[in-house]
Amino acid sequence: MSAPEAVHELSIAEAGRRLRAGTLSPSGLTEHCLSRIAALDPLLNAFVLVTRERALADADRAERELKGGVDRGPMHGIPYALKDIYATAGIRTTCHSKLLIDNVPSEDCAVEAKFKAAGAVLLGKLATHEFAIGGPSFDLPFPPARNPWNLEHFTGGSSSGSAAAVAAGLVRTAMGSDTGGSIRGPAFYCGTVGLKPTYGLVSRRGVFPLSYTLDHCGPLTWTVEDAALTLEVIAGFDPLDPASADIPLPHFTSGLGQDLAGLKLAYPRSFFATQEGMTEEVVASLDAAAQQIANLGAKVEEVELPDFELFNACGRVILIAEAYAIHEKNLLTRPLDYARYTYQRMMVGAMLSAADLTQAFRLRRELSLIINAHILGTYDAIITANGPTGAPRFDAFPADVPPKTTLQTMPFNVTGNPVLAIPTGFAKGGLPLGMQIVGRAFDEPTVLRIAAAYEAASGWINKRPALDRPIAVGGAALHAPARSHQ
Amino acid sequence: MVPNQEDAALEREFDALMAMAGAEVPADRKAGILAGYKDLKRMTALLRQPRTEAAEPSNIYSLTGFRRMRQP
Repeated sequence: MSAPEAVHELSIAEAGRRLRAGTLSPSGLTEHCLSRIAALDPLLNAFVLVTRERALADADRAERELKGGVDRGPMHGIPYALKDIYATAGIRTTCHSKLLIDNVPSEDCAVEAKFKAAGAVLLGKLATHEFAIGGPSFDLPFPPARNPWNLEHFTGGSSSGSAAAVAAGLVRTAMGSDTGGSIRGPAFYCGTVGLKPTYGLVSRRGVFPLSYTLDHCGPLTWTVEDAALTLEVIAGFDPLDPASADIPLPHFTSGLGQDLAGLKLAYPRSFFATQEGMTEEVVASLDAAAQQIANLGAKVEEVELPDFELFNACGRVILIAEAYAIHEKNLLTRPLDYARYTYQRMMVGAMLSAADLTQAFRLRRELSLIINAHILGTYDAIITANGPTGAPRFDAFPADVPPKTTLQTMPFNVTGNPVLAIPTGFAKGGLPLGMQIVGRAFDEPTVLRIAAAYEAASGWINKRPALDRPIAVGGAALHAPARSHQ
Repeated sequence: MVPNQEDAALEREFDALMAMAGAEVPADRKAGILAGYKDLKRMTALLRQPRTEAAEPSNIYSLTGFRRMRQP
């Protein structure tokens, strides 16, 4: 008897072709994913809720529609999952918090409505850092997700479950959110693709806010093409999201498969290479990626950017001010209902002055102009580091004081540009490394074009975590999964 | 360990700001917020540099790119 086919390894496009050819069924694909979740998620803690009944009903509907000649596009019959800050009508949405443990929204968020209309199959809700900040926390209703490359290591956050689920092959595309790097950080640590679209491209309506002017919604996926196809479904103007941009949408897959001839890329080597804690292996990995991109036909030139600390200070001040404003009442009245790290991070916002916030917004304007008018007025994109080192171990986190963020992702939340995180190799210990590709506002097609060309040439995406082999897990920190099934 | 003068002053400032905010910080969570406050002060100092009149909070994003994407 031959081994069952690993259909979770099929790209969204290839699975879609097979669904339409009748050689794969939405139900078969969904059952396969649910079986992988049942087998592997007790180790990973990626899901806080598996929506099995809903998934099978979605798959059955997609099967009938596709057989009947109704085609809802690239995600029709394809499984997806949502970070548990995305509101889902009739399905518990907890933000991974005790404060919302019984919250069942009556309406879908805009992204979920789009997935439904596209005929996609919801597998469940994914772990996050509480309210998309803090973490990793062991004092919450659900345990933190674990890194599929090494279960003793952090996934990054806050889209922790999204990254773990995609990296482990439980689902090809999972929604995350990114306020200071919460899509790109987990993608970097877990070796997936992570796309933070331009501010305003994907509606945030119904996604629990962390910081109104920095929040972005986007997918974590196995491949660049999967990200482009997901974006085809979720992008678009939403008059009910005050930040939504009313612009014509490009075809996000239009640049895939092209070489990079004619493109000019900025490489701010000193911007990241001089960062405190930056490791030689990350710098070497970025240098090799820049060279490979040049070999694909692009012109890559070193440039200087303003000091990273300016971007970081600007973004952090805005983030904690806005997060504190959102959570003020509960922070003052229910402090112990937040996890320790969440509470400690947010309470700093109580000590900001109006002048601090105004100065941050003034600097934001200046930094945005430097990136958009100066750098991206000359170059088609920027390639830079994502973080100084691979994923840390869970036991490296201090008990009493939240760890400092070392990722280099905040600059592009400050400026709002589209950024794609992509693997660039592996550290000596076997954990993934990666880079960011930053584009002009609403020029996701160029970002995806560069990423797809690099992905194909580098081949890093072909190396996956060895979760299908027996896993030896040491230490007492592993928790029994506290998830429930619908 | 006895805190140095700078740390003691920072803690007094912290306590006053928390009282103004109406917050009763659980004792075992104070150290983490205090560390964050110290870092916040470093960051807010970075924000205070000479700026031009053009650096105002409104209209943070340049609209040049938006116009380029619009179809005729």
